[in-house]
Parts: sequence; structure tokens; C-alpha cells
Amino acid sequence: MNMTTSPIELNHVTKTYGEFKAVDDISFTVPEGTICGFLGPNGAGKTTSIRMMLDILRPSSGTISILGARRALDVRSRIGYLPEEKGLYKKMTATAMIAYFATLKGIAGGEAKRIAGELLEKYGLGSFQNHKCEALSKGMGQKVQVLASIAHDPDLVILDEPFSGLDPVNQGVMEEVIQDIRSRGKTILFSTHVMSHAERICERVVIMAAGRLVFDGTVDDAKSLLPRRVRVKGKGAGAALEQLKDVTHSSPSSDGREGVVEFQLREGSDPQQLLKCAFDRSISLEVFEVVDPNLHEVFVHLVGEDAREAAYR
Amino acid sequence: MMQIFRIAHREYMENVKTKGFWIGIIVFPILIWMMIELPKFLEERGIPTRHIVIVDRSEGLGEIARQRITLLNRQKTLGELQQHMAKATEEQRKEQMEELDIDPDQLLDQLEQGLDQLGNPDLEIQPFKPDQLVKIGDLLPEQMLLNDLQWNNIKKLLLSQLPDDAAEFIEPPLRFKEVSLPEGTSLTDGNQQIEDALRPYLRSEMMLKSGDEEVELFGLLIIPEDALEPESRVRFWSSNLADNDLIDAVLASLSEEARQQEYDRRGIESKAVAEVASMKVRSIKFNPNKSEGDEKVGIRDKIRQYAPIGFVYMLWVAIFTIAQMLLNNTIEEKSNRLIEVLLSSVTTTELLLGKVLGVAAVGVTMQCAWIGSLIGILSYKAGPSATWIADLIAAVITPELLGGFAFYFITGYFFYAFLFAGIGSICNTIKEAQNFMSPLMLLMMVPLGTMTFIPNDPNGAIATTLSWIPPWTPFVMMNRMAASPPASEIYGTAIMLLISVVAVFWLSAKIFRIGVLRSGQPPKLLELFRWLRGSHS
Repeated sequence: MNMTTSPIELNHVTKTYGEFKAVDDISFTVPEGTICGFLGPNGAGKTTSIRMMLDILRPSSGTISILGARRALDVRSRIGYLPEEKGLYKKMTATAMIAYFATLKGIAGGEAKRIAGELLEKYGLGSFQNHKCEALSKGMGQKVQVLASIAHDPDLVILDEPFSGLDPVNQGVMEEVIQDIRSRGKTILFSTHVMSHAERICERVVIMAAGRLVFDGTVDDAKSLLPRRVRVKGKGAGAALEQLKDVTHSSPSSDGREGVVEFQLREGSDPQQLLKCAFDRSISLEVFEVVDPNLHEVFVHLVGEDAREAAYR
Repeated sequence: MMQIFRIAHREYMENVKTKGFWIGIIVFPILIWMMIELPKFLEERGIPTRHIVIVDRSEGLGEIARQRITLLNRQKTLGELQQHMAKATEEQRKEQMEELDIDPDQLLDQLEQGLDQLGNPDLEIQPFKPDQLVKIGDLLPEQMLLNDLQWNNIKKLLLSQLPDDAAEFIEPPLRFKEVSLPEGTSLTDGNQQIEDALRPYLRSEMMLKSGDEEVELFGLLIIPEDALEPESRVRFWSSNLADNDLIDAVLASLSEEARQQEYDRRGIESKAVAEVASMKVRSIKFNPNKSEGDEKVGIRDKIRQYAPIGFVYMLWVAIFTIAQMLLNNTIEEKSNRLIEVLLSSVTTTELLLGKVLGVAAVGVTMQCAWIGSLIGILSYKAGPSATWIADLIAAVITPELLGGFAFYFITGYFFYAFLFAGIGSICNTIKEAQNFMSPLMLLMMVPLGTMTFIPNDPNGAIATTLSWIPPWTPFVMMNRMAASPPASEIYGTAIMLLISVVAVFWLSAKIFRIGVLRSGQPPKLLELFRWLRGSHS
């Protein structure tokens, strides 16, 4: 791979359908070897963007570079793709299905079958190798489809909503699959609107809303967009600490604990100030916790208005 | 190229593995087999002996009718005897490869000798060849059949010529059998009285006694005294309106008798009349399109003229069954979103071509199986002596017809396959596709409608006009192929057809590219038009 380029580079990419702008001037890059979450509410333009990256759709304007190539089809043997809506050839066996997609990526027939068998074995579907896809449960089917998209050991894997429709156990398996790919030095972009998955496994996130890019950076960068919060419990603590100039907002704790008050701090403030103030006023604290914002909160903060808009569109 | 092959390969393997495919392959020969065997089976088992009552008020005309009935019965037996002999000598005839020329007169002489020998066992006779045994039935004159002694001897003689291991010949039941009037009625009763008395029997409400059996009465035949007079009518009662064999045959015999008497009355020699009546002016047909010295039009040419109908029909069935397959499976791939994964690996064009080729291979396999089983069954059923099969095959297997069939199959299939794939790509369910299919179906029916009359005027205005309309070109041109249409038309329409195939491919690829990724309602026509103009992709 050309080391000077990132696996995914989008430059001012726009996609319009008539009057409607599905994707509006987005630019971002995904560095090699990272797991990047592609987040956004429904209708934000994620799937359209992914289809453009894969050259299934052409952008109305802007340029895209995938693994250094201008068209994804030129490097198709190095890309793996799992679309949002999942389906299988009902009458094909799991092995045949995986092997077929691998051959389309240039793997020879016999080799493809061997790889398919190994993958099914590795991810706990060894005994279903010769079952027809219609006989598989939804979770198993989805696993087969993921395996079909990575059987040719691609350098870049793009997964559209890989967790949707999976039970918690299978969601765990899916995370494991993604981590495995990452551990082999591959690059992964996956879209989701479930923040907890992204938070657990992503190094970077790209957030879209209503066709526009609203954030691109590491998960830590994203979290630093929201001020930290402090939760305290102590007699008179709420009333006393509220007065501090670094506190912008106070409310009962969002985790619902009795008597715990949550303070939001001005950006850049040191939570230790609250501790010092309480100490100065001889307020004894039963609870003192510094809480980092989670990705979900950042997401709602960033796309809140747009998400609602998108829902009505 | 490799990708196209891989997609085609999967498409082929998956379709060939389906039950529908195998059912299609197996059902066809079974149907053909049944079409051949069923009428025979029904004839053997289905038609019981018909019982009739004959009331004869004339002098001797009843006898003529009865003779005719005997003849019908013996002809039926003779038919069965011929089949029996054909079966018994099958192996012998297979061994004896070359076709024998049979001289009817000589064969009948040989038969006479054989019959003489039955009465005088010392005489040596020339044994019959298996082919002769099968053919001789066709040659027996009616007088021989009507002569009881000769008839029995002929049966005996022919059966004696069969190989020793031949199965025993079982006489079939009589075709018609005369029964007498039921008790309480007599031939001296008036017509009205007899008809009233027999009505319940004719309606099958009552059974008639015949010897020890109770039988159903099929018909009542009353021959009036003056039956041969122009104003007179033979009265025939039967609740079976379909089986007219009996009354037709009896009337034919009576008419013959009436003519005979009239000739005699006018002093005309009836033999001379027969000779004069057999005079015929014959023609010989020439075809200017055939090479010099070979312009004579024979039976093969006739078959050749009409053989294209068979080809057109096969073309039509083949194209639409497999194009339908393509439609269904595009919709399947689209509705389960597999198409998206495919499109991340192959271009739309590769996908479209791969599918179309894969499904075409399925269709070709099915066609070959059908044609193979058809030829197999026909040649098995017809046996080695049937020359018509050879005629048919020789007439059909000519470079123009086969070449034409291959060309029009390929172009016609591609034309409709691309069209159907395009439709499949914009529909999510078969139901949605049906809305688009119905106008297309109407379009497709046209060549079927013109199929039978085009051979009558293969280079006429209608045929020529239809040939230039690309959706119909393959069928209409195939239909005209045997009539050697002008070369300018063959090549002109072929080029036109090829251009339209490319055009349909281009349009479909465009619609396909947008359509396969779309979900929800199929697009309106106006929207489709915008896709084609490219403002949407």
C-alpha cells in the first residue's frame, strides 16, 4: 500500500438527488490500521457515503480515494463490504456462499472453499458448513455474511450497521471479529447508531447529521467536546457548590441516585475546585465522582437538532 | 471477464440445483410420452363393444349395413393384429437393417399361395419377411375381410409366420355388436312403438339382455323400406353424439348401393364410372429458390416450409421461460440486498452480463434435454422402419434453419433478457413486476398470433413489415427462414436487431445501476426517463 495515502480519503464530496442533498460537502480521512466508527442518525447520509466510497454510487462532486485508488473497483480485491440490509442466497450452503464472494474478489475456487470452512470453524459455525442459508438463524446468517465479506482478507473493511439485529451474545462475537481484523493491521470503517459499540472498539469516529459532517477525530477528542461533570452528595453540598463560578448547571444526578447532585463545569475547569470548596465550608461529602461524558452524550449534543429533523424528513 | 464467468457459473449451478429445473426437464418427455400413449390406451381400454339394434324394413339393405359392421369389426381386429405382429417382429426388423421395397401385387400373390397351403399342407410356401407381415394388413381388400373363411385363414396364416417366442394374440372385443329387440317388442311393430319401447334402454335407464349378459344399448338403426329413395331417411337413435363411426359407415355403404342401383337403372357400367371417377389431374410443384435440377417440391419441402413454426414456438417458450427466471432471480437478489455486496465486487455491466449468460446456459441445457428426449421418444416409438422421422430430421437440420435458430435464439434471448433484468431491477416483488410485464406480454403475443399464417405468405407485406420491428424480428424471421427471404432483408433485419440488442442492453444497464439500489415504490415512467437521461445516477 502507498504509505503516503490513507485507506479512505474524502474531499468535498457531495451527492444530490434532484433538489435533495443526501451528502453535503464532506471531507475526512481514515488513517491506516484504525477502527473508525461512522456515526449518525438514520437518514444522515452514511449509507450513501459508504456506497460512494465503494463506487456503487458516483459523487455529484468532490473526490474520493480508496486505498490510493480513485475507483474502489480498481482495488476491489482489497476491500470487504457488508451492506446495511443483510441477505443471503437462501439455497446456497454457508460454505458455498462465503466461497462465492471470495472468488468474486479473485480467490481461486478451491482455496476459497478452504478459507470458508476455516472461517466458519473459527467463529463457531463449523457444524453448519453444509447447511443451506435458509436454515440458519438470523444471527448465524449475519455472521456468514460478515465472513463472506472478509474471506479474501481485505486491507479495508467497510461494515454498514454490523450490529443491527444481533442479540448481545452475537454483538460480542461481532466485536471480536472486528478486533481480529484490526489486530492484523487492517483498517475498518463501520457505521452504527449504537454509541456503546463505537465507544468500546473505535479509535476514531466520524459523525454525520443531515448530510453534513459534524465531527471527525479520535474518541477522546469527541468526549472533550462536552464539559466534565461532577457528582456529589453531602448535606448542603448542592446549594453551596451551585454558587461557584465554574459551575454552569446543576441537576439531580442522571443515574437517579437519591440525593446525588450533578454539576456541569465550565470548559477547562478543574473538578478539584469543588472538593476544595466543600472542604473550606466543612461540608462532608459522601459521594464525589468526576464523570467524563460518554459518546452517546456527545452524539446527542452534536446531532440532537438534526436527528429530530432527520426523523421527520 | 473472469467476474462475468463466475457470476454466470453460480447462476447456472444454483438454477440447475433447483427442483423446478428438474421437474421442467422430466415433465416434458412425460407429457410427450402421454400424448403418444394416452389415446392408444384409451382406445384399447376405453371403448367397449357398442351394442345396437337394427330394424330392417327393406329388402336386403339391412344385410349391407350388417356387412359394413362386420367390416368395421374386422378392421379393428386387423389393426390390433398388425400391432401385435409389429411388436413380435420388432427385433428381427431391427437386425435387418436395409429397407425392403414391397411390391403390393406380389405380396398379395404370396398371401394367396399361403392360403392355398393352409388347405393343402404338402405345398411349400415362401415364408413372409417381418416387414411384409407388418405391411400386408394395409393391402388386404375388403372382400377378403368380409369372407369369413378367408378372414380366419388369413389370421391363422399370419400368426403362423411369427417367431415361436411371440406372445399369444388376443382378439380384441368387437367394435359393434347387433342385439335383438327386448322382449315384448317385435320387428313387426311400428317405428313409433319400437322407438318408444327402446327409449329407456337408449337413455341407459334399462339394460338390454344379450345372451347371458346385460348390456347397455348404444344405438337403434331403422332402415326404411324405401331407404334408397331421395326423400327417405334412415333413422338413427343414440344418446352418444360423439361416436358417429357406425352411422357414417352404414350411410356410406347404403349410398354406394344407391349409386350402384342408379347406374344399373340408367344402363351405365359401374366399373367404367369407377375408372372415370379415379381420374385425376396432377401437378408438380417447383421452387425457384432451389438449385437447378432440384426445383421439384417434395414432402420434405412441405415439412421444411412448416418446420419453422415448431422452431418459432420453441424459441418463444425458451426465451420467455428463461427470461422469466432471470426476472425472478434479479428480484430475489434485489430484495435481499445481495446485489449491493455484488456491486462492491463487480461492475453493473459485469453483473448484468454474468446473470444473463448464466441463466441463458440454464435455458440451453433445458432445451437440449427437451429436444434430446423428443428425438429419443420419437425414434423409439416409431421403430427403425419409420422413415418420416428421418424425413423430419433431414428437413429440419439444414444450415439455414439451425443457423437461424441459433442466431435468433441468442439475439432474441438477449433482447428480452436485458429488458426483463431491467424490470427486475426496479421492482421489489414479483407482484410489482407484473404491472410492467402485462404490456410486455401483449407485445410478445403478436409473433405467436402470426406464427401460423406467415408460412402461407412468407415474403408478403405483413411478414416483411413485422420482420423490421426488433421485438418481433427473431420470431418472424425464424418463421420465414425456410422460404429463403431476400438476403437484404435477412442482413438488414439482423443488423437492426443487433443494434436494438445493444440499445436495450445500454438502457437496462443504466436502469439496473440505479434500480438495484433503490428500495420502495418502483419508479414512475417519467422518473425512469430521467434516469435514462442520466440526471439521476
